[in-house]
Amino acid sequence: MGLALAILGASLATLFAGIGSAKGVGLVGEAAAGVVSVDPNKFSKVLILQLLPGTQGLYGLLTAILMLSRIGIIGGNAPELTTAQGIMFLGASLPIAIVGLFSGIAQGRAAAAGVGITAKKPEHNGKGIIMAAMVETYAILALLVSILLIYNIAI
Amino acid sequence: MGTEYASAVSAVRAMENLLFTHSDLEQLINARTQNEFNTLISAKETGGLAEVWDMLMTYAPDSRELKILLYRNDFHNLKAVLKAMISGREPDEYFIEPSNVSAELLKESFRTRNFDILPEYMSETASESYELLTRTLDGQLADTFVDTSAMLAMQKSAEDFGGDFMRKYVQIITVCADIKTAYRCSKMHKSREFLESAVCGSSEIDRESLIRATLGGTENLISFLEHTTYNELAQFLKESPAKFEKRCDDMVIDLAEEARMKSFGTEPLIAYYIAKEAEIKNLRIISVCRESGADNQTVRERLRKLYV
Repeated sequence: MGLALAILGASLATLFAGIGSAKGVGLVGEAAAGVVSVDPNKFSKVLILQLLPGTQGLYGLLTAILMLSRIGIIGGNAPELTTAQGIMFLGASLPIAIVGLFSGIAQGRAAAAGVGITAKKPEHNGKGIIMAAMVETYAILALLVSILLIYNIAI
Repeated sequence: MGTEYASAVSAVRAMENLLFTHSDLEQLINARTQNEFNTLISAKETGGLAEVWDMLMTYAPDSRELKILLYRNDFHNLKAVLKAMISGREPDEYFIEPSNVSAELLKESFRTRNFDILPEYMSETASESYELLTRTLDGQLADTFVDTSAMLAMQKSAEDFGGDFMRKYVQIITVCADIKTAYRCSKMHKSREFLESAVCGSSEIDRESLIRATLGGTENLISFLEHTTYNELAQFLKESPAKFEKRCDDMVIDLAEEARMKSFGTEPLIAYYIAKEAEIKNLRIISVCRESGADNQTVRERLRKLYV
Protein backbone atom coordinates (compact mmCIF):
# COMPACT_ATOMS: atom_id res chain seq x y z
CA MET A 1 0.00 0.00 0.00
CA GLY A 2 2.77 2.42 0.96
CA LEU A 3 4.66 1.75 -2.25
CA ALA A 4 1.52 2.24 -4.32
CA LEU A 5 0.92 5.65 -2.75
CA ALA A 6 4.52 6.68 -3.40
CA ILE A 7 4.22 5.66 -7.05
CA LEU A 8 0.99 7.59 -7.30
CA GLY A 9 2.92 10.62 -6.02
CA ALA A 10 5.59 10.24 -8.68
CA SER A 11 2.88 9.96 -11.34
CA LEU A 12 1.07 13.05 -10.13
CA ALA A 13 4.25 15.13 -10.25
CA THR A 14 4.83 14.14 -13.86
CA LEU A 15 1.19 14.40 -14.84
CA PHE A 16 0.16 17.77 -13.51
CA ALA A 17 3.43 19.60 -14.10
CA GLY A 18 3.42 18.12 -17.60
CA ILE A 19 -0.13 19.28 -18.29
CA GLY A 20 0.75 22.78 -17.07
CA SER A 21 3.74 22.94 -19.40
CA ALA A 22 1.86 21.51 -22.35
CA LYS A 23 -0.88 24.09 -21.97
CA GLY A 24 1.59 26.91 -21.52
CA VAL A 25 3.87 25.96 -24.39
CA GLY A 26 0.83 25.34 -26.58
CA LEU A 27 -0.62 28.76 -25.93
CA VAL A 28 2.66 30.56 -26.59
CA GLY A 29 3.09 28.44 -29.70
CA GLU A 30 -0.25 29.64 -30.97
CA ALA A 31 0.66 33.26 -30.37
CA ALA A 32 4.13 32.76 -31.83
CA ALA A 33 2.71 31.19 -34.98
CA GLY A 34 0.57 34.29 -35.45
CA VAL A 35 3.62 36.54 -35.44
CA VAL A 36 5.73 34.25 -37.61
CA SER A 37 2.93 34.05 -40.19
CA VAL A 38 3.29 37.80 -40.67
CA ASP A 39 7.01 38.17 -40.04
CA PRO A 40 9.02 34.91 -40.25
CA ASN A 41 12.20 36.73 -39.15
CA LYS A 42 10.92 36.86 -35.59
CA PHE A 43 10.99 33.09 -35.23
CA SER A 44 14.09 32.88 -33.04
CA LYS A 45 12.86 35.65 -30.75
CA VAL A 46 9.49 34.09 -30.08
CA LEU A 47 11.00 30.63 -29.71
CA ILE A 48 12.70 31.63 -26.45
CA LEU A 49 9.36 32.78 -25.09
CA GLN A 50 7.76 29.53 -26.12
CA LEU A 51 10.36 27.49 -24.25
CA LEU A 52 9.81 29.25 -20.92
CA PRO A 53 6.67 27.42 -19.76
CA GLY A 54 8.30 24.12 -20.73
CA THR A 55 10.39 23.87 -17.56
CA GLN A 56 7.55 22.86 -15.24
CA GLY A 57 7.23 19.58 -17.09
CA LEU A 58 10.94 18.96 -16.61
CA TYR A 59 10.66 19.72 -12.88
CA GLY A 60 7.84 17.17 -12.65
CA LEU A 61 9.98 14.61 -14.43
CA LEU A 62 12.96 15.33 -12.17
CA THR A 63 10.81 14.98 -9.04
CA ALA A 64 9.41 11.66 -10.25
CA ILE A 65 12.86 10.25 -11.04
CA LEU A 66 14.30 11.32 -7.69
CA MET A 67 11.34 9.82 -5.89
CA LEU A 68 11.49 6.55 -7.79
CA SER A 69 15.18 6.22 -7.08
CA ARG A 70 14.67 7.09 -3.39
CA ILE A 71 12.03 4.39 -2.94
CA GLY A 72 14.17 1.95 -4.86
CA ILE A 73 11.92 1.38 -7.87
CA ILE A 74 14.81 2.49 -10.04
CA GLY A 75 17.58 0.11 -9.04
CA GLY A 76 15.30 -2.86 -8.54
CA ASN A 77 15.23 -3.36 -4.75
CA ALA A 78 12.11 -1.62 -3.59
CA PRO A 79 11.69 -1.86 0.18
CA GLU A 80 8.35 -2.28 1.86
CA LEU A 81 6.88 1.11 2.71
CA THR A 82 4.32 1.70 5.42
CA THR A 83 1.11 3.49 4.50
CA ALA A 84 2.30 6.50 6.47
CA GLN A 85 5.54 6.62 4.47
CA GLY A 86 3.56 6.24 1.25
CA ILE A 87 1.36 9.18 2.18
CA MET A 88 4.48 11.21 2.95
CA PHE A 89 5.91 10.55 -0.51
CA LEU A 90 2.55 11.37 -2.04
CA GLY A 91 2.57 14.63 -0.08
CA ALA A 92 6.10 15.37 -1.26
CA SER A 93 4.96 15.24 -4.86
CA LEU A 94 2.15 17.73 -4.42
CA PRO A 95 4.08 21.04 -4.43
CA ILE A 96 5.54 20.57 -7.90
CA ALA A 97 2.43 18.78 -9.17
CA ILE A 98 0.03 21.59 -8.27
CA VAL A 99 2.30 24.61 -8.61
CA GLY A 100 3.68 23.13 -11.84
CA LEU A 101 0.19 22.90 -13.29
CA PHE A 102 -0.87 26.43 -12.51
CA SER A 103 2.45 28.16 -13.02
CA GLY A 104 2.82 26.47 -16.42
CA ILE A 105 -0.49 27.89 -17.54
CA ALA A 106 0.15 31.31 -16.01
CA GLN A 107 3.61 31.49 -17.52
CA GLY A 108 2.11 30.56 -20.86
CA ARG A 109 -0.24 33.53 -20.65
CA ALA A 110 2.56 35.89 -19.67
CA ALA A 111 4.83 34.60 -22.42
CA ALA A 112 2.04 34.81 -25.00
CA ALA A 113 1.56 38.44 -24.01
CA GLY A 114 5.34 38.81 -24.41
CA VAL A 115 4.97 37.54 -27.96
CA GLY A 116 2.77 40.59 -28.49
CA ILE A 117 5.67 42.81 -27.40
CA THR A 118 7.99 41.00 -29.79
CA ALA A 119 5.49 41.51 -32.58
CA LYS A 120 4.98 45.18 -31.98
CA LYS A 121 8.35 46.29 -30.59
CA PRO A 122 10.96 43.62 -31.33
CA GLU A 123 13.71 45.65 -29.63
CA HIS A 124 11.89 45.22 -26.29
CA ASN A 125 11.67 41.45 -26.63
CA GLY A 126 13.87 40.95 -23.55
CA LYS A 127 11.36 42.65 -21.30
CA GLY A 128 8.71 40.15 -22.33
CA ILE A 129 11.11 37.32 -21.49
CA ILE A 130 11.90 38.75 -18.06
CA MET A 131 8.26 39.21 -17.19
CA ALA A 132 7.37 35.68 -18.17
CA ALA A 133 10.43 34.33 -16.37
CA MET A 134 9.22 35.84 -13.08
CA VAL A 135 6.58 33.11 -12.92
CA GLU A 136 9.36 30.56 -12.95
CA THR A 137 10.33 31.51 -9.39
CA TYR A 138 7.30 29.79 -7.95
CA ALA A 139 7.81 26.61 -9.91
CA ILE A 140 11.42 26.50 -8.64
CA LEU A 141 10.32 27.06 -5.05
CA ALA A 142 7.85 24.20 -5.36
CA LEU A 143 10.49 21.96 -6.91
CA LEU A 144 12.86 22.77 -4.07
CA VAL A 145 10.30 21.82 -1.41
CA SER A 146 9.37 18.62 -3.22
CA ILE A 147 13.04 17.58 -3.40
CA LEU A 148 13.71 18.47 0.24
CA LEU A 149 10.74 16.39 1.29
CA ILE A 150 11.74 13.39 -0.81
CA TYR A 151 15.22 13.29 0.66
CA ASN A 152 14.11 13.81 4.23
CA ILE A 153 11.44 11.17 4.56
CA ALA A 154 12.84 8.42 6.73
CA ILE A 155 12.63 4.98 5.19
CA MET B 1 -9.80 34.74 -18.29
CA GLY B 2 -9.94 33.32 -21.78
CA THR B 3 -7.01 32.87 -24.08
CA GLU B 4 -8.89 32.84 -27.37
CA TYR B 5 -7.36 34.08 -30.58
CA ALA B 6 -3.78 34.15 -29.23
CA SER B 7 -2.37 33.67 -32.71
CA ALA B 8 -4.75 36.16 -34.31
CA VAL B 9 -3.88 38.83 -31.76
CA SER B 10 -0.14 38.30 -32.23
CA ALA B 11 -0.49 38.43 -35.98
CA VAL B 12 -2.49 41.63 -35.69
CA ARG B 13 0.16 43.13 -33.42
CA ALA B 14 2.79 42.39 -36.04
CA MET B 15 0.62 43.94 -38.72
CA GLU B 16 -0.02 47.06 -36.70
CA ASN B 17 3.58 47.97 -37.44
CA LEU B 18 2.63 48.29 -41.08
CA LEU B 19 -0.05 50.90 -40.46
CA PHE B 20 0.66 54.46 -41.53
CA THR B 21 2.21 56.46 -38.71
CA HIS B 22 2.06 60.20 -38.09
CA SER B 23 5.34 60.74 -39.87
CA ASP B 24 4.20 58.65 -42.84
CA LEU B 25 1.11 60.81 -43.18
CA GLU B 26 3.20 63.93 -42.78
CA GLN B 27 5.39 62.78 -45.66
CA LEU B 28 2.30 62.19 -47.76
CA ILE B 29 0.98 65.66 -46.98
CA ASN B 30 4.30 67.18 -47.94
CA ALA B 31 4.75 65.11 -51.09
CA ARG B 32 5.48 67.54 -53.91
CA THR B 33 4.41 65.50 -56.89
CA GLN B 34 1.66 62.97 -57.45
CA ASN B 35 4.39 60.53 -58.35
CA GLU B 36 6.09 60.93 -55.00
CA PHE B 37 2.70 60.55 -53.30
CA ASN B 38 2.00 57.30 -55.12
CA THR B 39 5.47 55.92 -54.39
CA LEU B 40 5.03 56.61 -50.69
CA ILE B 41 1.71 54.81 -50.63
CA SER B 42 2.86 51.79 -52.57
CA ALA B 43 6.01 51.54 -50.41
CA LYS B 44 3.77 50.59 -47.48
CA GLU B 45 2.24 47.70 -49.39
CA THR B 46 -0.77 47.60 -47.13
CA GLY B 47 -3.87 45.93 -48.43
CA GLY B 48 -7.38 47.28 -48.30
CA LEU B 49 -10.14 46.37 -45.89
CA ALA B 50 -11.04 43.27 -47.88
CA GLU B 51 -7.54 41.88 -47.32
CA VAL B 52 -7.71 42.73 -43.63
CA TRP B 53 -11.03 40.97 -43.41
CA ASP B 54 -9.71 37.86 -45.17
CA MET B 55 -6.83 37.78 -42.74
CA LEU B 56 -9.10 38.11 -39.72
CA MET B 57 -11.30 35.33 -41.03
CA THR B 58 -8.29 33.06 -41.54
CA TYR B 59 -7.29 33.44 -37.90
CA ALA B 60 -10.73 33.68 -36.32
CA PRO B 61 -13.18 32.00 -38.69
CA ASP B 62 -15.56 31.04 -35.91
CA SER B 63 -16.16 34.50 -34.51
CA ARG B 64 -19.76 35.62 -35.01
CA GLU B 65 -18.93 38.78 -33.13
CA LEU B 66 -16.46 40.06 -35.72
CA LYS B 67 -19.09 39.74 -38.42
CA ILE B 68 -21.04 42.58 -36.80
CA LEU B 69 -18.34 44.89 -38.19
CA LEU B 70 -19.59 44.17 -41.68
CA TYR B 71 -23.31 44.64 -41.09
CA ARG B 72 -23.14 48.18 -42.40
CA ASN B 73 -21.57 46.97 -45.64
CA ASP B 74 -24.19 44.24 -45.95
CA PHE B 75 -27.02 46.72 -45.57
CA HIS B 76 -25.30 49.13 -47.93
CA ASN B 77 -25.26 46.37 -50.54
CA LEU B 78 -28.91 45.76 -49.84
CA LYS B 79 -29.57 49.40 -50.68
CA ALA B 80 -27.55 48.93 -53.87
CA VAL B 81 -29.86 46.15 -54.95
CA LEU B 82 -32.91 48.27 -54.18
CA LYS B 83 -31.43 51.19 -56.09
CA ALA B 84 -30.71 48.92 -59.03
CA MET B 85 -34.33 47.75 -58.98
CA ILE B 86 -35.56 51.29 -59.53
CA SER B 87 -32.96 52.36 -62.04
CA GLY B 88 -33.08 49.06 -63.90
CA ARG B 89 -29.29 48.82 -63.82
CA GLU B 90 -27.05 46.14 -62.44
CA PRO B 91 -26.22 46.72 -58.76
CA ASP B 92 -22.63 45.49 -59.00
CA GLU B 93 -21.02 48.88 -59.37
CA TYR B 94 -22.51 50.00 -56.03
CA PHE B 95 -21.43 46.95 -54.08
CA ILE B 96 -18.78 47.32 -51.43
CA GLU B 97 -16.49 44.71 -49.98
CA PRO B 98 -15.81 43.14 -47.52
CA SER B 99 -19.25 41.87 -46.68
CA ASN B 100 -20.78 38.87 -44.95
CA VAL B 101 -23.38 38.37 -47.64
CA SER B 102 -22.02 37.89 -51.13
CA ALA B 103 -23.38 40.01 -53.96
CA GLU B 104 -24.54 36.84 -55.68
CA LEU B 105 -26.60 35.69 -52.71
CA LEU B 106 -28.17 39.10 -52.34
CA LYS B 107 -29.10 39.31 -56.02
CA GLU B 108 -30.37 35.74 -55.92
CA SER B 109 -32.64 36.50 -52.98
CA PHE B 110 -34.20 39.43 -54.80
CA ARG B 111 -34.52 37.54 -58.06
CA THR B 112 -36.35 34.65 -56.40
CA ARG B 113 -38.08 36.84 -53.77
CA ASN B 114 -36.79 34.34 -51.26
CA PHE B 115 -35.30 36.44 -48.50
CA ASP B 116 -34.91 33.54 -46.10
CA ILE B 117 -31.63 32.58 -47.76
CA LEU B 118 -30.12 35.75 -46.27
CA PRO B 119 -28.70 35.78 -42.74
CA GLU B 120 -31.29 36.20 -40.02
CA TYR B 121 -30.26 39.75 -39.18
CA MET B 122 -31.14 41.07 -42.61
CA SER B 123 -33.75 38.77 -44.13
CA GLU B 124 -36.69 40.61 -42.62
CA THR B 125 -35.30 44.00 -43.58
CA ALA B 126 -34.74 42.79 -47.12
CA SER B 127 -38.27 41.55 -47.50
CA GLU B 128 -39.83 44.61 -45.87
CA SER B 129 -37.74 47.07 -47.86
CA TYR B 130 -38.65 45.27 -51.05
CA GLU B 131 -42.30 45.48 -50.16
CA LEU B 132 -41.93 49.13 -49.17
CA LEU B 133 -40.21 50.04 -52.40
CA THR B 134 -42.65 48.25 -54.66
CA ARG B 135 -45.56 49.84 -52.79
CA THR B 136 -44.31 53.42 -52.57
CA LEU B 137 -41.59 53.61 -55.27
CA ASP B 138 -39.88 55.98 -52.82
CA GLY B 139 -36.16 55.22 -52.91
CA GLN B 140 -35.28 57.57 -50.10
CA LEU B 141 -37.85 56.05 -47.77
CA ALA B 142 -36.53 52.56 -48.47
CA ASP B 143 -32.93 53.74 -47.96
CA THR B 144 -33.78 55.30 -44.63
CA PHE B 145 -35.58 52.17 -43.54
CA VAL B 146 -32.56 50.02 -44.44
CA ASP B 147 -30.12 52.38 -42.68
CA THR B 148 -32.14 52.31 -39.49
CA SER B 149 -32.54 48.54 -39.68
CA ALA B 150 -28.75 48.17 -40.04
CA MET B 151 -28.23 50.05 -36.79
CA LEU B 152 -30.90 48.04 -35.03
CA ALA B 153 -29.40 44.78 -36.29
CA MET B 154 -25.96 45.82 -35.00
CA GLN B 155 -27.45 46.69 -31.63
CA LYS B 156 -29.29 43.42 -31.38
CA SER B 157 -26.36 41.23 -32.41
CA ALA B 158 -23.94 43.11 -30.16
CA GLU B 159 -26.38 42.57 -27.31
CA ASP B 160 -26.87 38.88 -28.13
CA PHE B 161 -23.33 37.69 -28.75
CA GLY B 162 -21.01 40.66 -28.65
CA GLY B 163 -18.55 41.43 -25.90
CA ASP B 164 -18.34 44.62 -23.94
CA PHE B 165 -16.00 46.19 -26.46
CA MET B 166 -18.26 45.44 -29.41
CA ARG B 167 -21.27 46.80 -27.54
CA LYS B 168 -19.45 50.06 -26.89
CA TYR B 169 -18.41 50.25 -30.54
CA VAL B 170 -21.97 49.75 -31.74
CA GLN B 171 -23.14 52.30 -29.21
CA ILE B 172 -20.81 54.97 -30.61
CA ILE B 173 -21.72 54.15 -34.19
CA THR B 174 -25.46 54.27 -33.58
CA VAL B 175 -25.41 57.38 -31.40
CA CYS B 176 -23.33 59.25 -33.98
CA ALA B 177 -25.59 58.12 -36.80
CA ASP B 178 -28.69 59.16 -34.87
CA ILE B 179 -27.31 62.58 -34.02
CA LYS B 180 -26.22 63.14 -37.59
CA THR B 181 -29.65 62.20 -38.90
CA ALA B 182 -31.39 64.33 -36.28
CA TYR B 183 -29.20 67.33 -37.11
CA ARG B 184 -29.88 67.07 -40.83
CA CYS B 185 -33.59 66.54 -40.26
CA SER B 186 -33.77 69.58 -38.00
CA LYS B 187 -32.14 71.69 -40.70
CA MET B 188 -34.51 70.35 -43.33
CA HIS B 189 -37.60 70.52 -41.11
CA LYS B 190 -38.47 66.89 -41.66
CA SER B 191 -41.76 65.51 -40.39
CA ARG B 192 -42.22 63.37 -37.30
CA GLU B 193 -43.18 60.48 -39.54
CA PHE B 194 -39.85 60.64 -41.36
CA LEU B 195 -37.92 60.97 -38.12
CA GLU B 196 -39.62 57.92 -36.71
CA SER B 197 -38.32 55.86 -39.58
CA ALA B 198 -34.84 57.42 -39.54
CA VAL B 199 -33.88 57.46 -35.86
CA CYS B 200 -33.04 54.17 -34.20
CA GLY B 201 -32.41 55.26 -30.61
CA SER B 202 -30.08 53.70 -28.08
CA SER B 203 -29.78 53.10 -24.39
CA GLU B 204 -27.88 56.38 -24.01
CA ILE B 205 -30.07 58.60 -26.15
CA ASP B 206 -33.73 57.77 -26.05
CA ARG B 207 -35.42 57.66 -29.44
CA GLU B 208 -38.60 59.49 -28.52
CA SER B 209 -36.78 62.31 -26.72
CA LEU B 210 -34.39 62.76 -29.62
CA ILE B 211 -37.27 62.96 -32.10
CA ARG B 212 -39.09 65.48 -29.95
CA ALA B 213 -35.94 67.61 -29.58
CA THR B 214 -35.33 67.49 -33.33
CA LEU B 215 -38.86 68.62 -34.12
CA GLY B 216 -38.20 71.67 -31.97
CA GLY B 217 -35.43 72.88 -34.29
CA THR B 218 -31.62 72.74 -34.41
CA GLU B 219 -31.06 74.95 -31.34
CA ASN B 220 -33.42 72.81 -29.36
CA LEU B 221 -31.70 69.63 -30.53
CA ILE B 222 -28.28 70.90 -29.49
CA SER B 223 -29.46 71.99 -26.07
CA PHE B 224 -31.06 68.55 -25.65
CA LEU B 225 -27.77 66.85 -26.53
CA GLU B 226 -25.91 69.06 -24.09
CA HIS B 227 -27.84 67.34 -21.32
CA THR B 228 -26.91 63.84 -22.41
CA THR B 229 -23.66 61.91 -21.91
CA TYR B 230 -22.76 63.00 -25.42
CA ASN B 231 -22.59 66.64 -24.46
CA GLU B 232 -19.16 66.80 -26.08
CA LEU B 233 -20.64 65.95 -29.47
CA ALA B 234 -23.10 68.81 -29.12
CA GLN B 235 -20.18 71.21 -28.77
CA PHE B 236 -18.57 69.91 -31.95
CA LEU B 237 -21.87 70.06 -33.76
CA LYS B 238 -22.17 73.72 -32.81
CA GLU B 239 -18.78 74.41 -34.37
CA SER B 240 -19.37 72.57 -37.64
CA PRO B 241 -20.80 69.31 -38.94
CA ALA B 242 -17.34 68.41 -40.31
CA LYS B 243 -15.79 68.70 -36.85
CA PHE B 244 -18.62 66.62 -35.46
CA GLU B 245 -17.93 63.87 -37.97
CA LYS B 246 -14.24 63.94 -37.19
CA ARG B 247 -15.00 63.65 -33.48
CA CYS B 248 -17.27 60.64 -34.14
CA ASP B 249 -14.45 58.87 -35.96
CA ASP B 250 -11.98 59.82 -33.25
CA MET B 251 -14.28 58.44 -30.56
CA VAL B 252 -14.12 55.06 -32.27
CA ILE B 253 -10.32 55.21 -32.29
CA ASP B 254 -10.32 56.23 -28.61
CA LEU B 255 -12.31 53.10 -27.94
CA ALA B 256 -9.85 51.04 -29.98
CA GLU B 257 -7.09 52.27 -27.67
CA GLU B 258 -8.67 50.17 -24.92
CA ALA B 259 -7.78 47.04 -26.85
CA ARG B 260 -4.10 47.89 -26.90
CA MET B 261 -3.49 46.26 -23.53
CA LYS B 262 -5.21 43.01 -24.44
CA SER B 263 -3.24 39.93 -25.43
CA PHE B 264 -6.22 37.68 -26.12
CA GLY B 265 -9.79 37.91 -27.31
CA THR B 266 -11.56 39.70 -30.12
CA GLU B 267 -10.89 43.27 -28.96
CA PRO B 268 -7.50 43.69 -30.66
CA LEU B 269 -8.92 42.19 -33.85
CA ILE B 270 -11.85 44.60 -33.88
CA ALA B 271 -9.48 47.45 -33.04
CA TYR B 272 -7.23 46.59 -35.96
CA TYR B 273 -10.15 46.60 -38.36
CA ILE B 274 -11.25 49.97 -36.97
CA ALA B 275 -7.69 51.28 -37.30
CA LYS B 276 -7.53 50.16 -40.89
CA GLU B 277 -10.82 51.89 -41.65
CA ALA B 278 -9.46 55.10 -40.15
CA GLU B 279 -6.25 54.75 -42.14
CA ILE B 280 -8.13 54.40 -45.39
CA LYS B 281 -10.24 57.42 -44.52
CA ASN B 282 -7.09 59.44 -43.76
CA LEU B 283 -5.48 58.50 -47.05
CA ARG B 284 -8.67 59.53 -48.83
CA ILE B 285 -8.73 62.86 -46.99
CA ILE B 286 -5.15 63.61 -47.97
CA SER B 287 -5.80 62.56 -51.52
CA VAL B 288 -8.96 64.64 -51.87
CA CYS B 289 -7.29 67.65 -50.27
CA ARG B 290 -4.37 67.38 -52.70
CA GLU B 291 -6.73 67.39 -55.62
CA SER B 292 -8.67 70.36 -54.32
CA GLY B 293 -5.45 72.21 -53.50
CA ALA B 294 -6.17 72.64 -49.79
CA ASP B 295 -3.23 73.90 -47.73
CA ASN B 296 -1.32 71.53 -45.46
CA GLN B 297 -2.73 72.98 -42.27
CA THR B 298 -6.29 72.28 -43.39
CA VAL B 299 -5.36 68.70 -44.22
CA ARG B 300 -3.82 68.20 -40.77
CA GLU B 301 -6.95 69.54 -39.11
CA ARG B 302 -9.15 67.17 -41.02
CA LEU B 303 -7.08 64.04 -40.39
CA ARG B 304 -8.56 61.44 -38.07
CA LYS B 305 -6.76 60.13 -35.03
CA LEU B 306 -4.37 57.27 -35.60
CA TYR B 307 -4.14 53.94 -33.81
CA VAL B 308 -0.38 53.51 -33.71
